[in-house]
Amino acid sequence: MAIDVRIPTILRSHTGGAKAVSGSGDTLLQLLDNLDAQHPGLKQRLVTPEGGLHRFVNIYINDEDVRFQGSLDAKVNDGDTVTILPAVAGGAFGFAAASALRG
Amino acid sequence: MARFESLLDTCGNTPLIGLPRLSPSEKVRIWAKLEDRNPTGSVKDRAALYMVRTAEEHGRLKPGATILEPTSGNTGIALAMVAKLRGYRLVCVMPENVSSERVQLLRMYGAEIIFSPAAGGSNQAVATAKQIATEHPDWVMLYQYGNEANARAHYETTGPELLRDLPTITHFVAGLGTTGTLMGTGRYLREKNPDIQIVAAEPRYGELVYGLRNIDEGYVPELYDASVLSRRFSVGTRDAVLRTRQLVEVEGLFVGFSTGAVFHAALAMAHEAVREGRAADVAFLVADAGWKYLSTGAYTGTLADAESSLEGQLWA
Repeated sequence: MAIDVRIPTILRSHTGGAKAVSGSGDTLLQLLDNLDAQHPGLKQRLVTPEGGLHRFVNIYINDEDVRFQGSLDAKVNDGDTVTILPAVAGGAFGFAAASALRG
Repeated sequence: MARFESLLDTCGNTPLIGLPRLSPSEKVRIWAKLEDRNPTGSVKDRAALYMVRTAEEHGRLKPGATILEPTSGNTGIALAMVAKLRGYRLVCVMPENVSSERVQLLRMYGAEIIFSPAAGGSNQAVATAKQIATEHPDWVMLYQYGNEANARAHYETTGPELLRDLPTITHFVAGLGTTGTLMGTGRYLREKNPDIQIVAAEPRYGELVYGLRNIDEGYVPELYDASVLSRRFSVGTRDAVLRTRQLVEVEGLFVGFSTGAVFHAALAMAHEAVREGRAADVAFLVADAGWKYLSTGAYTGTLADAESSLEGQLWA
């Protein structure tokens, strides 16, 4: 078993275009370190030099935002799905732009 | 007394209804706050009215003024109605790929529309509106994403209404857009009950919305304060459609797809309370009804078809 990680379009340059990759670890930080070893440069796009989650990045473990679960210290388990998304303007407004291109 | 002096006076004081068939037990109940019962059919009437009144009080809006707002839908429709009744002109900036119902509704209420490129999504429309604002310094941008009156509308009305109608409320669940609803309602409820769970549900869109060139071009609404929230969920299209259909099939409640996403999170909270043996009163907010989304075709057919039809259209 492994942890399935969904990669947004803008970060797929690090994964050879792959929409999903898998990794391992007990915490989100360990998972990101593991992913970075396979896909160099990925972690740097998500974590600031100060060691926090980038302001405009949202990461979800099984659809729940990690910032409310300890952020980079959030626990992950085999079989979890981790989704990485850039922050966009939301609301009825953001939904309105929900066009085209199937993921 | 259900008589009002004008349409604007019917804003707020919306019904809170129980969902006995979808609630897991008598101890764990789910309630829906019907914001589609506002004058233009969405929760945005509250914010629109507060933002306009506040701008009037501060002297920013004078008779005949032009209001500029980046909005694709409910806020624009609400502002158009308020602007019409208060004597202002409204210009909306929106991505060119919004549904025709929305464009028709806005024009019907008298709004003018400036389209921004679909490819830039909502962030592009916000940027376009800000650019137009610098070219027309006399136009007033109420800017719902950063306007304190947006959140205050909910602090002063939605929150107190919920606590009045459901004093035993344990969870409040709503959609996360401008974040005004959750920030205002959440702050009020938490002040009155520090143990309350304030839960956000945000829709997970199609790819194009996230098609930014760089992470640094991301955007978090100025109103957003994560400390107000207890938890935040991302809800995919399929779950949102499934729950939207479940609401109308089981409880006769016809809602828009964003409310399906919100109900999905509310149901998760309710079932978590059941598993942990706790009593709970979970209230969630119905932002609007389903009328504006019928043309998506996603209320009928297979879930897979609905999901695929929504991927190419706006779904909330």
